[in-house]
Amino acid sequence: MNLERMMELPGALAAFTYSDKGDLESHVLREGTELTKQVLDLLTHSCVANQAIATMEARGWEAVTGQGGFEPLKGFSVVGLEWSVVVNGNCGIVVRNRDADYEATFNALQAA
Amino acid sequence: MHIVKQLMAIPGVIAAGEYAYRGDRFSYQGALTDEFARMASILCRGNTLSVNMQSEIFDSFAENCGCRPVQGWIVRGAQVTVCAVGNYFAFIENREELLNDVMTIMRAKVGDIQDDLLVNLYARLGGDTKEALY
Repeated sequence: MNLERMMELPGALAAFTYSDKGDLESHVLREGTELTKQVLDLLTHSCVANQAIATMEARGWEAVTGQGGFEPLKGFSVVGLEWSVVVNGNCGIVVRNRDADYEATFNALQAA
Repeated sequence: MHIVKQLMAIPGVIAAGEYAYRGDRFSYQGALTDEFARMASILCRGNTLSVNMQSEIFDSFAENCGCRPVQGWIVRGAQVTVCAVGNYFAFIENREELLNDVMTIMRAKVGDIQDDLLVNLYARLGGDTKEALY
């Protein structure tokens, strides 16, 4: 994954990769952002947890309701007050809310 | 126009609804049964509570880092996406530009979520939640 390229997405504040256990492996931070490496490391652990929970919910929902289209999971995003974190697989991007293009960000992560 | 009605007017929105932060009621429109809407409300409330807990931890390491309070979350499925902002949710098809449009409308109509969300979410846990949190 080319993190520098991910930083070209609208409103990108940080781009990162992480292990299956959630440990931060590589990252790029935009200068002047309040985010720190420590926060990113916490964030990546939550990303792994949230994707696992979302997969469990999607699988359960499909089994109980008979509705399809949820699996396989293509990503998860948490929308904070000023920024959102968008993740898929083992990489993620933090985008400023006022500039965020969620669709483009999800698509970029899927292509990565 | 009410937010749920406005969302349902957009082609590609499968269902939309609102649930009480306290978890005791919900309403919806679209392609869900009463039971599925109840399940969706429980799921959305659970996820909202979870991501807010996480943001409190982030905030304790970097105060005012811009995450807290959480405004919502998105689960991107293969053909369907679930969006939640505040106590509203929407099930939408993965159509071009639909996710951005739905998120823009939900954020604009619901407004910024304040810290009292957590007090309401925790209200059923018992005790003096306000004192415990703040």
